[in-house]
Formats: sequence, C-alpha cells, structure tokens
Amino acid sequence: MKFSILKTALAVFITAFISTSAFAESTMEKIVKTGKLTIAVQTQGPPVSFVNKAGKRTGFAVELAQMMADDMGVELVVQDYDWKGLIPALISGKADVIAADMTPTAKRHMQIVFTEPVFFSETIAFAKADKGFSSWKDLNKDGISVGATQASSWSDIARKMISNAKLKEYSGGTAQTVQAVVAGRIDAGISDRATIAAFTSSNKDLVVLDGQITKEPLGFAVRPDSLHLLHALNNYKRLIELDGRLGQKIQYWWNSTDWQADHN
Amino acid sequence: MEFLSNYFNFRIVGQYTDVFIEGVLTTLVLAGICLVLSIFFGIFVALMRMSSNPFVWRTAAAYIQIIRSTPLLIQIYLIYYGLPFLIGNFFGEEATAIIALTIHSTPYMAEIIRAGIASIDRGQSEGAMSVGMNKMQNMFYIVLPQALANVVPPMLGQTAVLIKDTSLFSIIAVFELMGAGLRMYSETVIATESYVTTAVCYLLIYMMMLVFSNIVQKQLGGGAWQTAH
Amino acid sequence: MDSIIEKYQLFIDLLPLLMTGLWMTFKVSMFAIIIGSLLGFFLGILRTLNNKIITNIIGLYLHIFRGTPYLVQLYLIYFVLPSFDVEFLKFDSFTAAIVSLSLYTSSYVTEIVTAAINAVPKGQSEGARSVGMSKIQSLYHIVVPQALKLSIPPMSGVYVIIIKSTALLSVIGISELTRQGENAILRLPGNLMFIYFVIALMYFIYCYPVLRFSAWAEKRYGSIGVDPE
Repeated sequence: MKFSILKTALAVFITAFISTSAFAESTMEKIVKTGKLTIAVQTQGPPVSFVNKAGKRTGFAVELAQMMADDMGVELVVQDYDWKGLIPALISGKADVIAADMTPTAKRHMQIVFTEPVFFSETIAFAKADKGFSSWKDLNKDGISVGATQASSWSDIARKMISNAKLKEYSGGTAQTVQAVVAGRIDAGISDRATIAAFTSSNKDLVVLDGQITKEPLGFAVRPDSLHLLHALNNYKRLIELDGRLGQKIQYWWNSTDWQADHN
Repeated sequence: MEFLSNYFNFRIVGQYTDVFIEGVLTTLVLAGICLVLSIFFGIFVALMRMSSNPFVWRTAAAYIQIIRSTPLLIQIYLIYYGLPFLIGNFFGEEATAIIALTIHSTPYMAEIIRAGIASIDRGQSEGAMSVGMNKMQNMFYIVLPQALANVVPPMLGQTAVLIKDTSLFSIIAVFELMGAGLRMYSETVIATESYVTTAVCYLLIYMMMLVFSNIVQKQLGGGAWQTAH
Repeated sequence: MDSIIEKYQLFIDLLPLLMTGLWMTFKVSMFAIIIGSLLGFFLGILRTLNNKIITNIIGLYLHIFRGTPYLVQLYLIYFVLPSFDVEFLKFDSFTAAIVSLSLYTSSYVTEIVTAAINAVPKGQSEGARSVGMSKIQSLYHIVVPQALKLSIPPMSGVYVIIIKSTALLSVIGISELTRQGENAILRLPGNLMFIYFVIALMYFIYCYPVLRFSAWAEKRYGSIGVDPE
C-alpha cells in the first residue's frame, strides 16, 4: 500500500518534471498557441510609452508592437513596469518582449538579447534657461551638479563624459530629474532629445543645451532562448523599414513633437 | 555551493562589498544624527504640548497631527523641492534629508517623551518644589531625567523605525544602504543579488538593535523599571 | 486676490486626476488592510497556542518584516520573486503592491492580536474551560470577542501606517495619489509646491479622522500597550 503511494507520487513528479523541461515550448510557440504577444513597457516614458490624456496607453513602442501583433493576427497584451522592473519582468517570463527605449549595453547583454537597433537616441543635457549654459560641455566643471535616471545609460554617460560634475541619480526616472532641475536642486539633467522635447515644449523655462553628448542605438529585447522570436522581430523591423511604416512612426513619435497635439 | 550560485551570484556581490559597507555606515550616521536631533527637539515639542497656554499647546498639537497624518515621502518631496524656492539651494542632499527626517520623527519622539513625563509621580515635582526648585529646575533636573530613562524601550523601537525610514533618502539621490543596492542593480542589472543583499544588511542592523535593546533592558532595568510599562 | 482665484482654478482642474489617484490609494489600502488583517489575525492566534516551533517561525516572519524597510520589501516582491521560476509568484505591479502591503500589514496585526489575546484575563478562559468548553470553543466564544475590542485602537493606527505607505507605490509606477500628483507636476512644473501641498492635504483628510478615531477608541476600550503608530 505504502509502496503504491510512493510509486504514484514518483510518477506524478516525473510527469511534472518532463512537462516543464523536456517539452518546454519556445516563446514563439507559446505566442502561437495562446494567441497573445505580451510586451513589457515603461510606466511613464513619453513618447515611447505613456498614458495619454484620454487615459489610454500609447506611444511609439506600443504602436510598433501593436502593428506587429495585428500583422501576426494575435492579441497584444501590454504590461507596464517601472524602468528598473523591465529586465526582471522579461527574465521571469512575465513578458515576451521589452518594448522600450533601451540601449543594448554590454552588461544588459549578459542578461537578455537585443534586436537590431530600431531607432537612435541622442543624449543631450537640459537646464533652466536662466542658468546661462550654452553647450553641454559647459557642465563638465567642479561645482556643477547633473542628474539622470538611476540604472539608465544616461547616468553612465554622465559619469564618463561629464566626469568633473557631481552626478545625482534619481530612482523615479526622467520626471524626477526634470523636477529637480526645475526646483533648482541640480544645474542640469541628462536625457535624450525626444524624451525631453515633451517637457521643453510645455515649460518655456527649460532649454536643451547645444550639442549631442552621444548617439546610441535603441532596440527591443527578448530572453536569450527566444531565438525564433528574435529573428521574427529583426525581420519584421526590416520589412516595415522598407515599406515605409517604420519611418512614419519614427517621424511622428521620435523626430518631432507632432504626437503632443494628439495625446497631451 | 555550485548549486547555490545558480540562484545567488556571490562573485558579483563580493565586488560590491565596499559599496554596501559604505551604505551601512552612511545609513547609521544619518540615522544617528536624526535621532539626536529629534530627541532634542522632541523634548521641546513635548513640553510645548503639555503647556497650559492654548496657543502653545495647540501649535504643538497641530504640528504633531499634520506630520502623523501625511506620508514621509510627501514630506521629503516638499522639503527637497521646496527648500530651494524658500531659501535658495543652500543645503545639499544629505542635509536636506536630515532636516526632513528630523521634522518627521520629532513628533513621534515628542509623544513618547510626553508619555514618559506623564508617568513620573506628582510627588517628585512636589518634593522638588518644596526644596525650593522653580518649575524649570524641577523639569530639567528631576522630571526629564527620569522620564527619559523610563522611555528608553519605546525610543529604541522608534529608532528602529527611523533607521528604516532613511531608506527613502535614496529617492532624493542620497547615497545610503538602499542607494547601495540600487547602485549595484543599476550597474549589474541583476535584481535578486542587489535587493536581497540590501535586505540582509538591514536585517543585520536590526539584529544589532535587538541585541543592544536586550542588553539595555537587562543592565539598566531592574524589576521596578519593567513594571512601569 | 488674482493668484488665489488662479490657484483655485488650478485646484479644480487638477481635482479629477488627483481624485482617481486617491481612489487608487483607497482601493490598495483597503485590500491590504483586509487581507493583511485576516492573515495577521490567523498568525496572532496561532502564536498564542504556545507551540514552540510555530511561535518561532512566526517570530522569524515578524522580525524579517519589521527589520527591513517597506521600500526594500516592495523591491524584493516586485523585482526578485518573479525570478524564481514559479508561475504563482509572477505578479504584475498591482498584485505586487497588494501582496507586499498585505504582508507588511500582517506583521503589525499579528503583534496586536497576540497582545490583545494575552490582555484578556486568564481567568476568563479558565472559567470557560471549567464549564466544559474546549480550547477552541473558549477562544472563539470568550477570548477572541474581547480581544477584538481591545485591538480596535492599535488597528486604526496600523491603518494610518498603511495609507501612508501606499505613497511608496508611486516608485513602482502604481498610479495612486502621489504618482498622479507627479504626473500633474510634469504638465505644470511651475506649480510643483502647490501640487505637493494639495496631495499632502488629501492624505491628511484621509488619515486624520482615522487617527482621531484611534485616540477616541483608546479612551473607550483601553490600551494594550501596543502603539504601532
């Protein structure tokens, strides 16, 4: 009697084990089976992903993913995370793709794998107009303080390129960096041109300083074992690049502030 | 060990030992400064609260209630972003953080001290007055020393809260223990090791506090001291 | 005068956004207080049964949750739990908020329930046992009803702590009151201080009555010496 219980338990255990490991399905197979493509986006990061004035989640990355999901004929599920939560969400399988303006750094590549660059960011510095800075190079001095989002590539860039200034990292994201600049807590903030465009157009006191500090490729990311999905994303990117749809979206969301009229 | 390192990468945590030690020390120093300041101001707020002048005690009561009814995070934001508007960018991040947390924790200390003062037998004051002490002398030489000794246990509890509250400093870009964890995460992109190490460091501080408070209870407290509570 | 009208207009404009935030704050804090109280109630009763192993396990649980800042717990539950490959632990932001806040609540409630049960005079349960009630019956019919009354004042204190802690959820992107205020500030950066004041006021309006109720309840039902606030 005791023996048979043990045997059943063993059988159950083995079945459970096999079903999770040996027959583990690929991410793409899961998407095909469930009919759902799940993306992780940043909670508040206009214009890449944000909630617009109508309370609807939208943005450049969301629309691109929506376009792909529509073409695949699957439903798009959008889950939003804090910036720091994006990579853990992907690794743990809460999402299939990170759709954000993330730079493929070497450290990040040790955890996840990025698609080909989808768009490019220009890292710039911004400050209050009455501070009298003209170029970002003016910031590289003792006694100047600059702010950037914690765990972002901007703070790495600030550390490297504006090494003489004191760097303050804000865990709340660009929004808090902007607040700190406005309140006079820091002399300037580091971010990218498209993100800051939203703030400078609504606040005349803020100006973008001359010169681009760096230019960085930005891509989407998947788990290292989602090879099928990675190739699909790369090829889809080339497809919409050539048929012009990617260019349209980039022009609307990234290279201009056209989107503000519709969404802010 | 091989098996464990699948879940927890000790090699990378090892690279951040210095950062975490610095974080722990900064947390202890910042919390220590806030503790001293908030006990100091707490005594005055407690005395104000117990004043018979309605303007004085109402001011103290309003201060206590307002602080107790609003989140520390909002208080920190108001002070962090507000101070430059009021007095210019005079205080740095650390000083601002200390000011904010002192303003936050003074009312809690004041309430504890007030309970301590109330627990002192009236006969003590009457005795002091009868040997010719005035009200001030009575308060500072007779009542307060006993009151403070009586409230050491709740004050240690409040100190533990204070230490935990310093974790919010990371949000206004002050480097402390939470900031150490956030820096490790920001540089290595591994969440588990960064945040578990942070939690373990806080638990170590907490255990030190527990041991310390047990020693204090045994050393200072006889049976009579215990019964007061 | 003009500026007052202007601020008033601004306040009216902001109100819908901030009210959705307040509603979220209310929802999250309600969920947490209910789930956390049930869990804490259960653990608190288990702790009074005098089983050494259970008492020690619960004690460890309490130390972990009382020894680390809520911000660290939030990061652990939000960022670290998902990395264990268990489907059940893969929370989205909202679930992570509720789970972490409920566990945090339960650590307070457990202590209150234990203290309240111990505060019910021993004679009561002995009496119940002597008329033939079982241990469970005496708990259920005699001890718990009285203990519940005793725990009302400190429980209101816990509720205030939980409401205030929800402000931290803005850090993981829950659109509660603080987060909505920050969203408003991004659109109207010039009114940063005013918006933070309005947020602080809204928290005050929510928390202050609960604090007053707690003070009133303590006068009515008496104190059991646990003051979480």
